[in-house]
Parts: sequence; C-alpha cells; structure tokens
Amino acid sequence: MTVVLRAAMDQGLVALQRQLRTLAPDIALITDGEHALERTTPDTRPPRLVRAELAEGHALQARPVPGDPVAAFAAFLDGTQTSRVVAYVDGTPIVHGTVAAVVRSRRNRRLTTWRQPIVQRRLYVCLRALKPERRRLLEALGIRLVDTTPTSEDPAAHPYILQNDAVHRVQEDREEAERKLAEQWCTNERDPLFIDGSISGSDKIAVSACTVGVVKSHRTLYAEGDALQTIFSLRRGERSSVFRVTSPKRVPVASWYLRLRDSLGHDPMWGLVRVEIAYPTRNDLDAIGARADEVSLWTLAEVSPLALPDARWDKMVYGIHDCEEFLHAVT
Amino acid sequence: MTTITPLGRVVATERRPNTPHEFHFWTSLDSPVGVGTIVRVEGKYTINGTITRVYGVVVEGFSYSDLQSPLHDVLGHDGSPSAASLASTERAEIRLYTAAVLRQLPDEPLQPVPLGDVYLADDADIAVALRMDSYLAEGARTGIPIGVYHAGGTDAPIYLDADFLIGPEAAHLNITGVSGLATKTSAIEWILSSIFAHFPEQKGSVAALCFNVKGPDLCFLDEPGAIDDRDRALYEKCGVPAAPFENVQYYAPYKSDGISLNTLRSNDALLHNVNALTWGLREVLQYAEVLLNKDDVDAKADALIDFIRERIVDRDFSDELVLPGKRYRVRSFADLEQWFKDVLVALEHRGNESWRTHHVATIRKVRNRLSNISTRCAGLVTDDGNVGDLPFGSFQDRTVYVIDVASLEEDAQDLVFARIVTKLREHLEKRDLGVKHVIVFVDELNKYAPGDGQDTYVRKMLLDLAERGRYLGLVLFSAQQFRSQVHRRVVGNSGTALYGRMDADELATPGYSVLSPAVKTKLATLEKGQLMVRHPHFTQPIFVRFPRPAIMRGRDGAERYPQAQDITLATAVLRSLRPLDSTITLNWVQDVIEIHDDDAVIRARNATLLERPADVKRFFKSQLAPIVPPKAVSRPMATPIRSAPGDDPYGF
Repeated sequence: MTVVLRAAMDQGLVALQRQLRTLAPDIALITDGEHALERTTPDTRPPRLVRAELAEGHALQARPVPGDPVAAFAAFLDGTQTSRVVAYVDGTPIVHGTVAAVVRSRRNRRLTTWRQPIVQRRLYVCLRALKPERRRLLEALGIRLVDTTPTSEDPAAHPYILQNDAVHRVQEDREEAERKLAEQWCTNERDPLFIDGSISGSDKIAVSACTVGVVKSHRTLYAEGDALQTIFSLRRGERSSVFRVTSPKRVPVASWYLRLRDSLGHDPMWGLVRVEIAYPTRNDLDAIGARADEVSLWTLAEVSPLALPDARWDKMVYGIHDCEEFLHAVT
Repeated sequence: MTTITPLGRVVATERRPNTPHEFHFWTSLDSPVGVGTIVRVEGKYTINGTITRVYGVVVEGFSYSDLQSPLHDVLGHDGSPSAASLASTERAEIRLYTAAVLRQLPDEPLQPVPLGDVYLADDADIAVALRMDSYLAEGARTGIPIGVYHAGGTDAPIYLDADFLIGPEAAHLNITGVSGLATKTSAIEWILSSIFAHFPEQKGSVAALCFNVKGPDLCFLDEPGAIDDRDRALYEKCGVPAAPFENVQYYAPYKSDGISLNTLRSNDALLHNVNALTWGLREVLQYAEVLLNKDDVDAKADALIDFIRERIVDRDFSDELVLPGKRYRVRSFADLEQWFKDVLVALEHRGNESWRTHHVATIRKVRNRLSNISTRCAGLVTDDGNVGDLPFGSFQDRTVYVIDVASLEEDAQDLVFARIVTKLREHLEKRDLGVKHVIVFVDELNKYAPGDGQDTYVRKMLLDLAERGRYLGLVLFSAQQFRSQVHRRVVGNSGTALYGRMDADELATPGYSVLSPAVKTKLATLEKGQLMVRHPHFTQPIFVRFPRPAIMRGRDGAERYPQAQDITLATAVLRSLRPLDSTITLNWVQDVIEIHDDDAVIRARNATLLERPADVKRFFKSQLAPIVPPKAVSRPMATPIRSAPGDDPYGF
C-alpha cells in the first residue's frame, strides 16, 4: 500500500467542496490543503515479535541464494490510497477517499498497464452521527457514500476516532481493489505476479502458484531470540529458512526473509524484505527450499533499477515504484 | 487522408504552457517523430463551428526518465555501465517534443494550441500546413518542387511558389552550406531542372545564366550523370525529368594567347556549344570603373574617361589645332593607344601642359590605366573590338547559359559580372532579351558581396539586382559558405533561403538565433542531399531531401573529358570558323594562314567572327593582308654620259 501525498488538493476534491458550499453554505469546508490523513494518522499497531513455525529445516538459518538473479516476474501489482477531510458537518468529519490499484506488466523490459486499473473515489462518513437532512445533503452530491459507523461503539465519538475509522475503511477498499486485480491475474495469467504486500488476505491469491507477495514493513517480525539475530545478520543475497505465517483471519503462507541490499551502515531492516508464496502441500513441502531459492532469485533480479527517489528504495523494487507513479498520474 | 492512430498527445503545464505559436506533445518511444517532422493536432472543441486543427513542425525534443539524479543510476548499477543492460526493467522514459506552429485552422481567432491528439501529417496535411494549397490549385498552379519531405511513412513533395521564387511577389534564392559536400551546386542544378520542368507556361519564358567561378562544377550540365533508384524515386515524386539540361550554351574567354578557350570544357567532343567571350574597347569602357581603382582614378581622370567614352570611341574625331590633318575613329585598344600617343606627342611638341582642360599628367595616367586593361584581362578583352558575346536579344526559353570565368583574374571576373548583368537588366527593361525571366546564379557570394569591406561595383550591382531585379524578371540565385558574411541586403532580399550542412561557428552567429538548438544541431549534421528551406509561404523552416542532379559531376566530367592541350593556331581558327562554315578543313586553314603572322591571323579570325559573313572562307582570306609576290627588278640601262668636247667646256 502506498499513500499518495499531494501538495495541494486535487481538482475532484475542490469540485466536491464547491458542491457542498452551494448546497449547504453553513458547512465548514476544509480548504487549506492539509496533509492526507494517512500521514497524520499514526499506525497504532504495536511492533511485535512472533514465533513462526519453520517449514524448512529445524532452525532458522541464513542461506545464500545460489545462482544468478532471473527476471521472471511478468507483472507488478500495487495500490494507493489517499484520504482527506473535506468538511466537518456538525463536528463529524466527512472524509474523501481515493483508492486505486494497477497491474503493470513487463514486456521487453518495459512496463505497461495490464487491463483496466481500478480508481475509486468515495466519501467516508459516520452516517449515524449526522442528522437526516445532512445525510440527504451528502447523498445529493452524487458520490458514493460509505458508512463508517462502528457497529459496537457510540457514534458520537471523538472526531479523530471517526477519522481513523474512515481511514481504515479506505484502507480496506484499497486492499479490496488490489485483491480484485490480483484475482483477475490469477484467473487469466500463469506468469508470476509481484504483489506489493502480503498475499494472505485472499483465499484465491494465497494459494496461487503465480503470486509472490513482498512485504517491506516489519512491524511484525516472525522470529525470536537467535532466529532474530540470524535475520538481522543476513547479508546481501542471503535468505532465511522458510517458515509458515498464519493468522486467524488469513490464509497460511510460506514466507522467508531476503536481504536485497547490504545493510552495512544502516538499520538491521535496511534492504530486508519478507517474501510470501503459497504454502506447499504436504507432498511438496520438501521442495520448499528450492522454491524459495527460485523466487528469491526472481526478487533479487528486481533490485535494479533503483526505485529512487522513493524513500523506501532499499526495499522497493522498480516495478512497484512504476505502479505508484502510474497511479499518482491517474488519481 | 488522415492517419487513424495518434502518435502523440499535446501536453501543457503551467511551467511550459502552449502558446499560439508553440506547443508540446509526447509520443511513444518508437514513434517516427524527430526534429523537422510535421504533425497535425486535432482539437476537441469547436470555434465558430469548426473543430480546431493545428499544424506544427517539431523544433525541439526532450527525453528524460524518472531519475532525480544521475547518481541514482550509478548507484543502481554499482557503477558498472554494463550492469545497466542486465537490469530486468528499463526506467520509464519520455519523449517530449516542442513544435512550432505552421498554421491554425480556423485562422481566427488565434488561440493557444489546444490539448488534443497529435497525428503524423500526410501529404494533404503538409499542403495545408505549408499553405501550398493556395498555389497548387488546378488552373492556377505555380508550384515548383524543391524536394521531398520525409517523415514516418510520409513522402510529400514540397513546392515553392513561382510567384515568390521568380517574382513578381518576391524573388531570389540564396543557399548556404559548408563546402565540399556538393550540396550548393547540386541544389542549384536540381532547382533549375525543376523550374524548367514546372515553371508555368502562362508566366512566360525563363532562362538561366550561371557564372562558373571555380572548377568544373558547371562545365558538364548537358552530360548525363549517375543517379540511383532513390534519386529516381525523388525525381518521379517531384515530376521532374531525370535528365541533364537539353539546352546549354557555354561562354568562355580566350587564354592570353588569344587562341585557346580558357575553360575546363575545352575537350574536342564538347566544343559544339562552347562560344568565345571577348569584348573590345567599347564594351570595356562602359564598365571602366569596375576595373579602375577608385583611389587611382580621381575626378579629373574620370572626366577624361568620360570624354573618351563620349567623344572619342566610335566617333569620328579630329582636332585641327593639336592634331592637324589627322582623323580618328577609335574602335579598339590599339586605336586608342595610337590616339593617346599622337595627342601626347603633339602636346610635347607644342609645349602645352594641357589639352582641352585635361592636364597632360592626367592624360598619361588614363592612358596607362586603360592600356593596362587589355593586359590584365587578356583573352577577354581584345584590341579588335567585340568578337564574342552572349546572344542578348535572342535568349532561348529553358536554356542555361554558362559563363566560365573560373580561370579569369579577379578584375576580369568583376568586369564579366558587371557587364553581363547590366546588359541583362537593360534588355529586360526593354523587354527584348528573348525571354521574360532570367535566373542569374552567382556562387561564392562571400567574395562578391561581402558584408564588410570596400564597396565595389560588383557588390553594388548585386545589391541592385537583389532589390530591384524581381520587377524586371531578373532573379538572383546565389550561394556561399558563410551567409553571415554576405551583405545583409543581398541575403535579406532573397525570398527563399536554403541551408545545407552548416558549420558550427556559422550557426553560432546572430543570424541563426531564431533557430532552436535542435534545428541547429540538425543543420550541422545534414546529409548530402538534404536542405532546410525557408520560403515566404512557410512560417517555419522545413527540411527536404532532393535528388542528385542527373548531370555529370564536374570531377567526373573533368576525368572523362580531359581539358584539351594548347592547340595550334590553325586548329584554333578551324574551331572558331567551323560553326560558321562546316566545309572548312584544317588543311584549308593551314594553307591560308601559312604565310601570315599569328597576330594577323587572329585579327582575321576575330573580324570573321564579328561579321559572320555568308561566305566565310572568302571573308577570312580577305582579312589577311595580301602578300605581294616578289618581282625581279630590272636595272634600267644606264645612259652613257656624253663626253664633253674639248673645246666646249659647257657641252653645248
């Protein structure tokens, strides 16, 4: 996921605000072009260490990836989201969210858009907190409304809580858009698809042989103790042993850490990604190491060209950077 | 027909907005667009009921990627350029072009170029974009093909408007480019072929007069040269016959010996259309100021020259006071020399210091300078008067007249330019030249009309030609290596300008500041056969390709037809008289001239050429002074002296 940050509010947002001003001049519009909510909303998830079940060997080890990198990914998938408060209606934030996702396929070393990208613009509002006439007013704007009213909590919550809820709903929509495109790919294509982020959110994607998820953020590290030191000390071109990542709401996947760039002089997670692929069947479990090597070589092939000027260039591959640039242009 | 698929899209940003005269568009990486490509923009909105359509020519190109710093690329490939080719993905790259507007439809209101799809211009688009549609209409067609515009799949002939090339709306053509690429001369030859093929009948007749000022470049215009299939295709596209000129006449002065023609086209096989160009005193005296140094000839000398021109030359002259009993009719340098001699001797005898207000020193000075002309212009100027000249009054349509002055001294070249152009102007003013339009081609304009330096007669003449010639039908086609060094009024009056490959130093001069860096770069790297064209109808310069002339190149001609060795007097006479009487043989000439000295024979030849009599043999013989056969003189019988009687001392 990527947050698209703009220096100024886009024209779609301004047009929406003009409509609002016409319909209800008393509404307090936010017109100062403040930052996207994704930037101001802190990630409240605590960093944590999770012990993972090994799928390869008996202890988590550093393993050099044998062979030369191979450019095997046929396409890259990424999504973006951006949320802004356009107005406060009776103290309730009205959040405009834009989500987008795209698959950029690679032919002759050049990236082009695969099928239609998804771009959605919606208003995220806690409808229960609004008076009926205000709801009707928002419905008259002609943009789809998403009710962010929490099912179990009092709707008359702090506006910041309502903003956070809205941002999370935008995030869900963005993940849904990404999932939709990934499933289309799995249905129609057989070549490997590089997905920015985890693949475990979808039953179909998580078990597909053609999807590879690459996770750049490490708020959750799947290792403890010596295993953690092993991951931190991975050198460039080395991977960890494969382990199984499970979650109550997600599909189990096979995963391993891979060092894309030498972290000397940087923090231990610099150039470190976690790769996810479908968890093998019992019969194929013995071959998981070879499969991890193969996918690691594919991933290592993407270290060039650099994704600069993106600040996450140490972990981001150029194909994903290209997806973001594309979505930046169309949203 | 329009190209269906757009090849680009117009873009505009606040930093780089579109204007009524310029716009920007991007294309795919593999598009055939380049500097000089003509494109069409289809607008999306109507103005006064018409969808806007804009034509432009690409004048600048940009390419960049999403890199913010070159260092990022270095880091990305570990400082190894070879590693870049191994990268799995190529960086996003843009091709962004800037185009100068050629034409907007509708013309009014003139607005900034709208955002829209960009298409490669096809033949019909190019005709509209360059406003050629106005002079390519059936029934009023005045288009002269200058070459073929090539871009993508488009091969469109580009036409100049004869009204703006030959007159009367505008006129003159100037071509510039570095030497040695055979572009300037080849382009002129090609354009003359094109004019001869396409000049509209209703506009009258046209001839060309070319001054060959160096080498054999123009010496084989009537000989076929080698061209390839690509050239043939260009000829076909332009509708110009791929053939040498049908009618060419060459004129060259004699060498100083007065026998051989001073031209590289002296091979026997090519002499059928080579004519002698020799002038006498009358012709030269009219243009004395061309040859005489202004510092040398002051007002007093000038007055005497005027007196000689008006009162002496070709007039019966006598002066009973100073030259009692003498009658003069000065027709040649020899006559003039005799006249000077007599005047000066008479003044010496009489002890006079002046004659008819002209001081004796001035007379001596003018005598010296005028007598010197026949020496400095030997071969061109003869003592015998005008012998060979251009056919003023009977110029032929679609004929090229080449004046070969390549081997003449600079003064003599100036004299040739001055007299011929002046005569052309006089005849065109009187409408009795024989053709309605004459194109005069002058190469090395840097030399003849420089932007700085002393004002010369030739430069003044070229300026006059450039500024007023078009009203008369006298058109200047000129060429030079450095346009910036030619007089601004000469090149400025050229309605049409052509540019071949240019020198970078020349492109750095202010005259080229209107061109974009990309256009300058293209000019500096043009191939043979490519030109940039500026024409009054074209709002921007256009690049075209023209075929090699179907004419033998000078170098090839010089090899195939080597210059004749110096010939004998008899052969020279034969060559001169043969065109007048084909029955003349070398033996006959040798028999006739055998006993005469060379000067007498040359005088007789010149007189015959001047008279062009019906009976050439008889006339020629009559010009040679009869040799009286020696007679034995019998000694008269001496009358004996009578002896005197002894007684008569007186003899009675």
